[in-house]
Amino acid sequence: MNLNENYKLPETYETPSRFRNTIGKYTIKRNSNCISCGLCAKLCPYGVHQRYDNYSKPIRPVEHKCIGPICKENSYYCIDRCPQKALTLRPNPILETMGDYRWTSEMLIAHFEMAETGSLPKVNLEYDLGNSGGGFDKIRFIKPDQHKYIDISDDKIDTSVQLNKTGDGRPIKTISIPCYGGGMSYGSTALPVMVGRARAAKRLNTLTCTGEGGYPPELLPYKDHVITQVATGLFGVREETIKYCPVMEFKYAQGAKPGLGGHLLGSKVTPAVAAMRETVVGSSLFSPFPFHSVYSVEDHKKHVDWMKEINHNVLVSVKVSTPTDVDMVAVGAYYAGAHIVHIDGSYGGTGAAPDIAKKNIAMPIEYAIPKVHNFLLNEGARDKICLIASGGIRNAMDVAKAIALGADGVVIGTAELVALECVRCSNCESGRGCARGIATTDPELGYMITEEYAEQRIINMYMAWRKQWCEILRGFGMKSLKELVGRSDLLVHLDYLDESERKKYKPAPNIQMVI
Amino acid sequence: MSNNDNIINRILASRAKFSHKNTSYNKCDEEGGCGVTGFISSIQIRGRHIYEPSVQMHNRGNGKGGGIAAVGLCASDLGVTQEVLDSHYLIQIAYIDPKSRPEVELANIVPFMDIHKAEKIPTIDDYRDIGLEVKPPDVWRYFCRVNKNILSIFIEDNKLHEMDPHKAEDEFIYQNSVSLNQKFYASLGEKKAFVMSHGRNVMILKVVGYAEHVTQYYCLEDFKAHGWIAHQRYPTRGRLWHPGGAHPFSGMHEALVHNGDFANYHSVSEYLNQYNIYPQFLTDTEVSVLLLDLYSRTFGYPMEYIIEALAPTTENDFDRLPFEKQRIYRYIQSQHVSCSPDGPWFFIIARNDPYKKAFQLIGITDTSMLRPQVFALQEGEVQIGLVCSEKQAIDATLQNLASEDSRFCPVADKYWNARGGSARTGGSFIFTVKDSSKGAGSKELVTTNKFGQIVSTPSNQKHFNDSISISKPLDQDNILQTIKKHIESDDIDELKSFCIKNVINWNYDSLKLLCDELVNQSKNSDKSKTNAICTLTYLNDTVFPTGTKKRSSILNMLRNSLALIFSSTPMLNKPSESIYKYIDFITRDTLRAPEKNEKILVVNAREFAAEGIDCDARVLNKAYILGWKQYICYGYKGQRFTGCGFGKGTDGVRIDVYDSSGDYLASGIDGMEIYVHGNAQDQLGQIMKRGKLVIYGDVGQTFMYGAKGGNVFILGRAAGRPLINGTGCPRVVINGTCLDYLAESFMAGDPLNGGGFVILNGMEYNDCGCLVTLPSPYPGSNLFSLASGGAIYIRDPFKIIVEDQLNGGEFADLSQADWELIYPYLKENEKLFGISIEDDLLTVNGKKMEYKKVYRKVQAIKLAALS
Repeated sequence: MNLNENYKLPETYETPSRFRNTIGKYTIKRNSNCISCGLCAKLCPYGVHQRYDNYSKPIRPVEHKCIGPICKENSYYCIDRCPQKALTLRPNPILETMGDYRWTSEMLIAHFEMAETGSLPKVNLEYDLGNSGGGFDKIRFIKPDQHKYIDISDDKIDTSVQLNKTGDGRPIKTISIPCYGGGMSYGSTALPVMVGRARAAKRLNTLTCTGEGGYPPELLPYKDHVITQVATGLFGVREETIKYCPVMEFKYAQGAKPGLGGHLLGSKVTPAVAAMRETVVGSSLFSPFPFHSVYSVEDHKKHVDWMKEINHNVLVSVKVSTPTDVDMVAVGAYYAGAHIVHIDGSYGGTGAAPDIAKKNIAMPIEYAIPKVHNFLLNEGARDKICLIASGGIRNAMDVAKAIALGADGVVIGTAELVALECVRCSNCESGRGCARGIATTDPELGYMITEEYAEQRIINMYMAWRKQWCEILRGFGMKSLKELVGRSDLLVHLDYLDESERKKYKPAPNIQMVI
Repeated sequence: MSNNDNIINRILASRAKFSHKNTSYNKCDEEGGCGVTGFISSIQIRGRHIYEPSVQMHNRGNGKGGGIAAVGLCASDLGVTQEVLDSHYLIQIAYIDPKSRPEVELANIVPFMDIHKAEKIPTIDDYRDIGLEVKPPDVWRYFCRVNKNILSIFIEDNKLHEMDPHKAEDEFIYQNSVSLNQKFYASLGEKKAFVMSHGRNVMILKVVGYAEHVTQYYCLEDFKAHGWIAHQRYPTRGRLWHPGGAHPFSGMHEALVHNGDFANYHSVSEYLNQYNIYPQFLTDTEVSVLLLDLYSRTFGYPMEYIIEALAPTTENDFDRLPFEKQRIYRYIQSQHVSCSPDGPWFFIIARNDPYKKAFQLIGITDTSMLRPQVFALQEGEVQIGLVCSEKQAIDATLQNLASEDSRFCPVADKYWNARGGSARTGGSFIFTVKDSSKGAGSKELVTTNKFGQIVSTPSNQKHFNDSISISKPLDQDNILQTIKKHIESDDIDELKSFCIKNVINWNYDSLKLLCDELVNQSKNSDKSKTNAICTLTYLNDTVFPTGTKKRSSILNMLRNSLALIFSSTPMLNKPSESIYKYIDFITRDTLRAPEKNEKILVVNAREFAAEGIDCDARVLNKAYILGWKQYICYGYKGQRFTGCGFGKGTDGVRIDVYDSSGDYLASGIDGMEIYVHGNAQDQLGQIMKRGKLVIYGDVGQTFMYGAKGGNVFILGRAAGRPLINGTGCPRVVINGTCLDYLAESFMAGDPLNGGGFVILNGMEYNDCGCLVTLPSPYPGSNLFSLASGGAIYIRDPFKIIVEDQLNGGEFADLSQADWELIYPYLKENEKLFGISIEDDLLTVNGKKMEYKKVYRKVQAIKLAALS
């Protein structure tokens, strides 16, 4: 194992929802016939019906724990057993309006559950696939050969990624899970969210990223796990913020909005945000595109050299979007001295990216990864660079697919927010910001979240994901995720199979939304 | 239809015979920018002098493509007569597959040409000896003319009778090369051979390697030519086995190198396809030169119109053109704007104009000036014009030339940046070498801008010629005594004013005496040394009238003396009582903490790497950690990142920088002071936080991008895009002007309440060393665009700046509070540069004026787009 000898994966523990009314796949209603006998609470092993010793009235069922109609076969099925027939069970109608075809309601709910428990959901939810009709939703792992299965425990399986493979004398940094946190700036998300993500990164022995809104001092205790992003606006970037970080990230472009810089609308530029970025309160902040100092690859090399001169141990990550010549861009970044090439595909981005950009430009990440991977292989440079993918990688299965397509690891943005109960309403930029208290700098809304909550929820989600990765690896007889890199032979795309072949694979969930 | 149109159509039609079915339409490589350099002189210069500037720009290429071109060659070096050199085509064919030569010659040379001479270009024995990884192709050169009968048939077939037969011959040669490339390069999977160049008195050579490898491999060190250009390529593809895609490229009688990359390769290609022109090497550079060739040779456009077609004049500049020009340019733009290269680009073209008997070096920048470029000119007994990506490559060329030929001075008389699409200069400059009036084959160099206006240096000034022995000046005793007296009595201000007062009348001998004596005095004590450095630095930094002497020669003398003083500083590892200690690349490991009274670390940067673990910036970092606070750094040849990496809170640190400092100087500094005694390069003061930066000269592109603070004083000009995305409280005085895009998206709060601002004085020193008001304090079309905070204070007594130049800002009256805010900065500016508030800034046409009438304020307005 390549893990630090001393490093132990973090513990998971129950971290319940912040909201009184949780969202479940099913809804259970208790009518006035209830006599508060307490039978349902005794029966339900999932804890849907709760009853406290010192309070005899029935309380509202914890709906998201309910496994639904399949429970009918169980002797403890509350609906049938209720002496008063006071309980009714129905699919939750909210699901029809929540999420979208990529992040389906079931995928959202399942991630809430993983973040709450640290385990895979017990409720029957489809969380591996969305219904987007393309991308990762059309890609499946082939059925592994049963003889290859190796029966080893999760802790014997290596999920680490080495970030510096260049052999240039700079530190060989290893992260313990194949994911690190994407850049979300101070200004785009609430401070407790940022700090919580950093705390989680520290315990998971991975990284998170500042985004381009400056480096809040609250992150300093976790600085060995925080990437300083240098984006085109250079907001809040100072020498010391580059000296803090083990890895710095140049954000040239974002897959969600290639050809545009980051932007933060005026209403989110509160006095605190303006102070951190040293700008004017209430005035929108548009980062330019591209870097005004970088119009070519030799400028880029100079830019990389500059960072290396400020911090003599820093690793350099270059984040680019995925135009059709992304392979050339990647290899250029490598020759200019980058350690990590981070390609950001078109599915990602929060509600902040303008629709016109988000929906129309950049290559889907599942095309870009193998294109870059193979190009680097042919160049003889693949084993010298760490290839990181991002942009719409939603769940553990997507991560594994991205790795099998050729990435070493991935960057996760949205899923971490979903772990904090983001419902993907895409209103990140409106008014005071997020109704769920995540993507906001409003002092009231932002304190709906505590750092501890954010930290543990994110850890829980990744630990649940890790269980899935371990199961995939065992199936293919592998002991390390590194063995999976570039194994696109283990994947199939449903569109390229004939009908009979295709039937062998799980179809995408046929969820229809009410829009 | 006029006669002319007929010929154009017939030429184009004659090219239709080539089948391009198998030629790819896609660009072959993505490539970024690169390093380009070129010079042209009134005398022929040896190839070894293109070597040094090429080495200087190593870090702009990656060793996967290098090329050079020469124009105005030396007949005897080629073993032909001048008559043959002038009249014959010099066809150079690269045989990637050496075995293909008989086949190629049989197909495209022997049947059509009268060959005067054919030879393989000599090479060194083993390409690996000079570090090349890929064997360069065998290149054969053929001096030939088109066979008379063949040419008449060609003219007959294509009805080109009305054309000058030599021009028809040009066209034949051109088409023959297209045909050769088509057969042996473009349509083959296996590439066998291609034409590198085919013009008259011009040649191109290129390799998979660095540009300087070309001069080494093809034994060009002693090969003479008037004009040379070189290109370091940075293709992003890793494995290349032949130099087909490397620059320069040729149309007919020219060679073009290019730094940048187009977004519209396809639309330019499609435009060319309409005229039966098909790119065969599939790079931006090739389509550029094809475009140039189409405009110049086929359409017969004059150079001005060609430049306009490539880099259109837009916005405010267009408005400022004379009406007649606007009318013509509008036609050109409506015809050509769709195929003008879009994106960052900078071209250097070396060309032979056989019909005007002139050799030219041309630099053209795109309208947005997205690539770095510096022009330089030196005019003396011999003249030389230079164009380069980085200034230090110009200095390297001149130093190299001066070391061999005393007619050259290591410092150019004039350095400048082109402003793309400028209404005044057109954003491009042309150096033309032609026969001089003096006869006997002597040549002269004339420099013009796009509009044909001459750029020159004062003709009454002469360079210092150090080959003539120094005679004893008449006022020798007076000079020596004055120096001694003031140095000993520590009265430096007196000494400075003595020098300034007398320098105009001194000859070089007196000046040399002064310099030598200061060097002598510096050996006496630390105090004398400090005083000598102080005096020489002051003279180096101050612009003063120089009489009949060239400022470049004076600067060279002063800088040499300073270098002598610096290099005679005791080594770190040698015992001495001096407060000065010296360190260089060889002795860098002797670095230790300062002891006793040691105070100033003198760093000779010359042999350090430009970046990476062996760069001088690292040594400064280490020295700072060890406790050194004061540095004198000299000997720079473009080393980057000076002052970077010191981290937070560096108050009390001072760095004095001499010679050709590099990019990213002072980036990120937080508290320290840096003084640059000369021109500075690109990307200075990025994300600068706090501290003081003083530049006794001009600064390059994207100066102070994303800066958060700091007090900055610039004696000269800033190039394009200074202070973009500035936040916090940067406070900057620029005494000259900027090319364009000053303080775009500036967000530096309320200047009257702790925020940032820029003072733009719009003045410059003229050739006589007098401060004059520029025709426009800000010629660009974009001032303070989309800014949400901060302010620009602009000295504009004639109200030349108009609303159209502001995209989002507004003019405001200068209040008392504003004046009180900027006054201390102007006062400091006066102290640093001697630019007086009362006598220079507030005096307009000899009349003192009120500050309100002289300065204007541009402030941010609340834009809908930003709320």
